[in-house]
Amino acid sequence: MTELPADQGAQALDVPQPHVKTRRNRDVLIALAAFVVLALLPMVFSSKFLLDFVIRCAAYGLFATSLNLLIGYTGLTSFGHGMFFGLGAYGFGLMMQKTGVSVPVAFVATLAITFVTALVIGAICVRLKEIYFAFVTLAFQMLIHSTILSWVSLTGGDQGLRGGIPRPPFWGIDLSNHLHLYVTSCALLVIGLFLMHQIAQSPFGYTLRMIRDNATRASFIGIDVWRAKLTIFVLAALFASTGGVIMALFVSGAYPEFAYWTISGEGIFINMLGGVTTFLGPMVGTVLLLILNDTVTRLTEYHGLVLGIVILFFAIGLRKGLMDFVIEWYAQRRDRRGK
Amino acid sequence: MTRTRKPGVSRRATLAMMGAGAVTFATPWVARAQAKTIKVGMPTILSGRVAQLGTSSRNAVVLEVEKVNAAGGLAGRQIEMVIRDSKGQPQEAARVARELVNTDGCEILIDAEASSGAFAVHEVARDLGVLCIHTNSETSSLTADPKQHIPNAFRTARQGVHDSIVGGSYAAAIAKAKGLKKWATCSPDYAYGRDTTGEYVTYLKRFAPDVEIISESWPKLFQPDYTEVVTKILQAKPQALYSCLWGGDLTSYIDQANIYALFSQMEVFAVNMADYTALTVVKNLPKGIHSGNRYIKTYPATTENAAWGDAYKAKYNEYPTNWSWENATAIMLLAEASKKANSADGKKIAEALRGLKIKSPFGADGTVTMRAEDQTLVGYAIGWGTTIPQEPYVPQVQAGDWKTIFELEAEWKKSKGYA
Repeated sequence: MTELPADQGAQALDVPQPHVKTRRNRDVLIALAAFVVLALLPMVFSSKFLLDFVIRCAAYGLFATSLNLLIGYTGLTSFGHGMFFGLGAYGFGLMMQKTGVSVPVAFVATLAITFVTALVIGAICVRLKEIYFAFVTLAFQMLIHSTILSWVSLTGGDQGLRGGIPRPPFWGIDLSNHLHLYVTSCALLVIGLFLMHQIAQSPFGYTLRMIRDNATRASFIGIDVWRAKLTIFVLAALFASTGGVIMALFVSGAYPEFAYWTISGEGIFINMLGGVTTFLGPMVGTVLLLILNDTVTRLTEYHGLVLGIVILFFAIGLRKGLMDFVIEWYAQRRDRRGK
Repeated sequence: MTRTRKPGVSRRATLAMMGAGAVTFATPWVARAQAKTIKVGMPTILSGRVAQLGTSSRNAVVLEVEKVNAAGGLAGRQIEMVIRDSKGQPQEAARVARELVNTDGCEILIDAEASSGAFAVHEVARDLGVLCIHTNSETSSLTADPKQHIPNAFRTARQGVHDSIVGGSYAAAIAKAKGLKKWATCSPDYAYGRDTTGEYVTYLKRFAPDVEIISESWPKLFQPDYTEVVTKILQAKPQALYSCLWGGDLTSYIDQANIYALFSQMEVFAVNMADYTALTVVKNLPKGIHSGNRYIKTYPATTENAAWGDAYKAKYNEYPTNWSWENATAIMLLAEASKKANSADGKKIAEALRGLKIKSPFGADGTVTMRAEDQTLVGYAIGWGTTIPQEPYVPQVQAGDWKTIFELEAEWKKSKGYA
């Protein structure tokens, strides 16, 4: 993973307190503008491909950005974050198929299930550091994946949840209409990113950065490191789960692959591509990976080779994610001009 | 006065680029409106452990499409195949299928996905209403379960339950004749392995009630070492062994079991043995393994079938697989249905497909039928025989009886609550 020297955090540690309100207002405005732009896209481009692309970006983007809250902000490299993506997809799919509740209820219930699961798994995992943390999260992921595979009567085993996910209309939104699904996914993405940005910019977010840089120092000044780590672990799980819900709606089903380690691997890959030192890095990474994936699989079946070369370029060539590179290049340029 | 150009991208260039972008996104729609060819999309697995599934499906489809195009295409429109890899991931299969229809303008889908991928593509077909033919998924519920049923989806593959009925009755006859009462099973640990074995045992016991299963082994899919499984079976000392291992798993298993001389100690029933993917790869193919036919060019023993197998071999320098005939059948049916409907329109072809009976090299009686009620293929060649170590590998195949299959299938559907 990209090393994070202490003096080069996600944002420089300028004490942000006095401008909290104005900045939050600015964030709200940016979020609203982003949503309006996304929502208006279908009017400009009639391409359904674009809609599919943005929906998938929303699913993977929420997942990858939430993973960055752990990796980039807290220094917790989770190899098992995909389990919450899978949990979201299965929780939502099963709720809709078996109970017949409305979409918002199923969504909230899925988040509740994720909350409880993440709390239990997190309580065990966040006591550990570095590689031990990584591997225990991976172990839990495999546990959840195996459970999905073997609990055939509930989950359908390796065939996945079949028969489609019913989606009765609610509040005038009909998710079986692709345009409605698109706008809803955009809304979930923008709200998710907005909330995660608020978390990252809050005093709690700065506590996380301190834990990342020096957990011992943090605990010496009175921070309950375990509790802070657990809180962010659970919060990140909720956003990953939301990504899973979007994916389940997109494919109208849930499959064991959603909870497999390869999904976690893709999340880490996205973070490496986009960069972990900026908030929007993983989002940029998501767009990059999906464009790469979609274009390369169109052209060749040896896409593994191409993606491998790309990651080598980022890992050995740039030695950082794209956004990290851009930000650094911009800073250097500004400094040079300043002189 | 001279104007100096500022460095960077000019407004005009930006506008041009945005325009180009818009055109890129809008192009497929223009292309579709003017298309004279008909595009047929095919998501399949072209990379990873089961890439052979995708490549042998693609080969067969290309072979058949060439013939259809030479004969004038679908109602005068030449077929253009757009074949794409899904990596065996259901979410990719769904994405690729949507992209093929929405962006590439494909009007028909050949879904050459395995297991969960087929269900993911099925949902895309449900959503988009596009004509879709499942060619590789043998999971019975895909067409048997009325909840899955959509008017625009068909299946041209074998079905698990058909295999089990024929396999069970064949094995029961031999069990009675040879007095085989103690049986062991050894199948891969996933839905296909568990379901197929369960159904096989059900029908075996139905036809031979005194059969007893004394040992079950469930090796993992793609397991490299079968030593513990082989020794476990040998210790249980069964008189007969059933297995639905397939492809590389089956060949590794046979190679390793040969070391322990397992095949001389019991009768072995391996449903997926009689496919060239397994027959030609095993180092020392033991004599006398009972197997269901997957694809062999000698069964059905007709000149049409032999010619088809040889044509495939001549073109690709390898024999076709079980997946090959299933995909070839999809194209043959499409061509016939289009001729019957005199149209290349998906809805009209679907209408014509229901109940359509065509001549086929792979039919039990020289024909196969797309059964109208559940839109799945019936009447294909299905039988069991024993192996010999060299070509033709399975010289005598005992045909399954479709009348019995239909009766027991109807009963099975009732027991599952499908009918």
